[in-house]
Amino acid sequence: MSTRRKPADPTAEFFGGLVEHQPNPLLEKANGTIRFDLREGKRVDRWLLSLENGEVTVSRANGDADCVVRADKALFDAIAAGRANGTAARLRGAMTIDGDVELIVLLRRVFPGPPARSARRRNGPRQA
Amino acid sequence: MSDGLVKILDGNTFVVSDSRGDIEASLTDPTGLFSFDTRFLSQWILTVNGQRLTPLSTDDLQYFETRFFLVPGTGTVYVDSKLSVIRRRAVGNGFREELRILNHDEKPVDLTIRIDAGSDFADLFEVKDALKKKGTYSARAKEGRLVLGYQRDTFTRATDISATERARVDKNGLTFKTRIEAQDEWSTNLDVVTTVLESGRGREQPTFARPRGRQNMEANLKRWLDDAPTLECDWDALRETYRRSLVDLAALRFSPPIMGRRSLPAAGLPWFMTMFGRDSIFTSLQVLPFAPSLAATTLRALGEWQGTVVDDFRDEDPGRILHEMRYGELPAFEERPHSPYYGCADATPLFVVLLDEYERWTGDRRLVHELEYEARAALNWIDEYADLMGNGYISYKRRNEKTGLENQCWKDSWDSISYHDGRLAGFPRATCELQGYAYDAKMRGARLAREIWKDEQFAGTLERQAADLKRRFNRDFWIEDGEYFALALDGDGNQVDSLSSNIGHLLWSGIVDKAKAKAVARHLLGTRLYSGWGVRTLAEGEGRYNPIGYHVGTVWPFDNSFIAWGLRRYGFKEEAAQVAAGILAAADFFDGRLPEAFGGYERTLTRYPVQYPTACSPQAWSTGAPLLLLRTMLGLEPVGDLLVVDPALPVGIGHIALLDIPGRWGRIDAFGRGRVSVDEKKGLREPAARG
Repeated sequence: MSTRRKPADPTAEFFGGLVEHQPNPLLEKANGTIRFDLREGKRVDRWLLSLENGEVTVSRANGDADCVVRADKALFDAIAAGRANGTAARLRGAMTIDGDVELIVLLRRVFPGPPARSARRRNGPRQA
Repeated sequence: MSDGLVKILDGNTFVVSDSRGDIEASLTDPTGLFSFDTRFLSQWILTVNGQRLTPLSTDDLQYFETRFFLVPGTGTVYVDSKLSVIRRRAVGNGFREELRILNHDEKPVDLTIRIDAGSDFADLFEVKDALKKKGTYSARAKEGRLVLGYQRDTFTRATDISATERARVDKNGLTFKTRIEAQDEWSTNLDVVTTVLESGRGREQPTFARPRGRQNMEANLKRWLDDAPTLECDWDALRETYRRSLVDLAALRFSPPIMGRRSLPAAGLPWFMTMFGRDSIFTSLQVLPFAPSLAATTLRALGEWQGTVVDDFRDEDPGRILHEMRYGELPAFEERPHSPYYGCADATPLFVVLLDEYERWTGDRRLVHELEYEARAALNWIDEYADLMGNGYISYKRRNEKTGLENQCWKDSWDSISYHDGRLAGFPRATCELQGYAYDAKMRGARLAREIWKDEQFAGTLERQAADLKRRFNRDFWIEDGEYFALALDGDGNQVDSLSSNIGHLLWSGIVDKAKAKAVARHLLGTRLYSGWGVRTLAEGEGRYNPIGYHVGTVWPFDNSFIAWGLRRYGFKEEAAQVAAGILAAADFFDGRLPEAFGGYERTLTRYPVQYPTACSPQAWSTGAPLLLLRTMLGLEPVGDLLVVDPALPVGIGHIALLDIPGRWGRIDAFGRGRVSVDEKKGLREPAARG
């Protein structure tokens, strides 16, 4: 039985994973830049994501983007770890989107699902 | 409107009021101004000198615009008939109401005009289920505006009310004091703007909203009607139904936030103005020959929202196509799973069916390339996630036991899946039409793989799977002594032995062995299923049969349109014409607007179709039904780059010409003449005599 520690920074881990696993077919239709302004007290943790035909580049630059996402870092950490749902957070106004919304809906496809408590594959499970 | 309510809408913003134009909602009452699944006004009452008004008439100018002609006073005595009041209301970004008061008297009159305004900011789900609110309300009167607000944590909604004439504003409304000279008039514009405040920054609409400009709406409707094929025919009622369908379809268009100005069909007014997997796909299929752009947007939007993870709360799996998307408070706080909810078992195979049918009509190979990943994921879902029993059939059982859907097929009410003796079937349930859709998805997926994705191996695999599924299905679902297919297999793999309209969808999908098709057609047009108006959802004589039971005896126009298509697919032209004739005749009784469902009573018994009590209207797939029936009767079928026309029309319909049918051939005309004689007692009403 594995006792995985909670990652120290799920957001960093999430963005790192995007860069690691590419090109990603789920992101092929997403072309543009997304900036994440994640509030942590008085600090703003900033990530700039650039998507082109499934290729992903990540930087910490503060530049203009086609789409700007604003949320508390704690909330985004939970979303990045699959403990919170990004779409519901958007509907609640806890996460706001300025600019090209389609980019964030496409990016939604690479966020992890909830922890596999009762979640299981239905039939003939394939190990990922 | 039959319920006395007046409804106007644009996308998912709509106003439901009484015939005076007033809104006086209770928590469970569906009147109000709604936008993105939230009620922004629950009270909007006009008084003149303290008196309510009486309606003289209502003009539905357009689906987004109404005019109310009123006089002061209520009841039988008109206190002052020297005044006329006209409210002209158009939906846009909220709504604008032009209020005009005309003094017909020879002397001036002093008036106090009052609008009482209020909002409960109810989520649509709360209106349906009468739930209590958890946030706090506010009302602020400032600088001639009234701002009604609601806040729960970061979730904020506001209604901003203002007028072009000077008003005294308080927390409950606006008051105008004015003197109107003899033979003169007074007017003001009232603007109601739905607002979402995000992180302290005001917005006129939720970020997920893209309202169309009011002024453009008229031009947009005209363009929409001009783009559709023209129908010429001898039967006036059919022309009227056709036009009604096109206008209602225009009204039901909904642009999801990710789609810019492109739109897809929402499911229905007032409860279902949102993206639904099943309804949007079925409607897109119905209207392909008339408005193919709806299918493209449906496919793109559903593709983008396709499931990617296993999420029990949302009944989501990788590859699964969503059931329903909602934008209100309850999904926002995860008290309902619609962000989006994926609990439906048919939309995923139907997604592939629509993609193929769309390409066959339009020749748009680009979209098929663009959605290759999504289509493959959908096909994968059928085998990998939908076969809950491990018996090679799609079945469903919700994982969200609290707020998920029990029945994940189109007959989604609690009592829809029962045995002949009336017992309800256990879960998981493998309803028969799901297997048909899966078969069709595999066959069509094989064509796309071979011809467009150039993957011969995948095409071969899909065809082998489809052939195997068809063989097993015709063995496992066939009820030998009754000569029909079981409604479902239950959780133990046993047949759920009711006779139902679902067998018509099997013909549409092509899963039925040729040798069995005749018996199926005979049942569909037989006395137990066919009412004279259409095919009942459940046959007379079944334990739970009830002519006004939602999915257990009523006739659904949408259902019948696919049944007619299925009958044609197996060569039963006359039977298809009979079904079409019955439904189109019924449409005439509803002024061309078919309801969601009507009673399954024998036609000879009631002589008119009895509307199902709480059906919502217009509903997209009912609106699409006459269009699919037209396609079916004319026998329109794309073959390669050609459109084959093979009409089989009921006698009473006379001559039909459908001009400028769009497709990969450019534009083409189709002609037909009614030659199929349908049973007089059951068929068409005589068309009006023509000079």
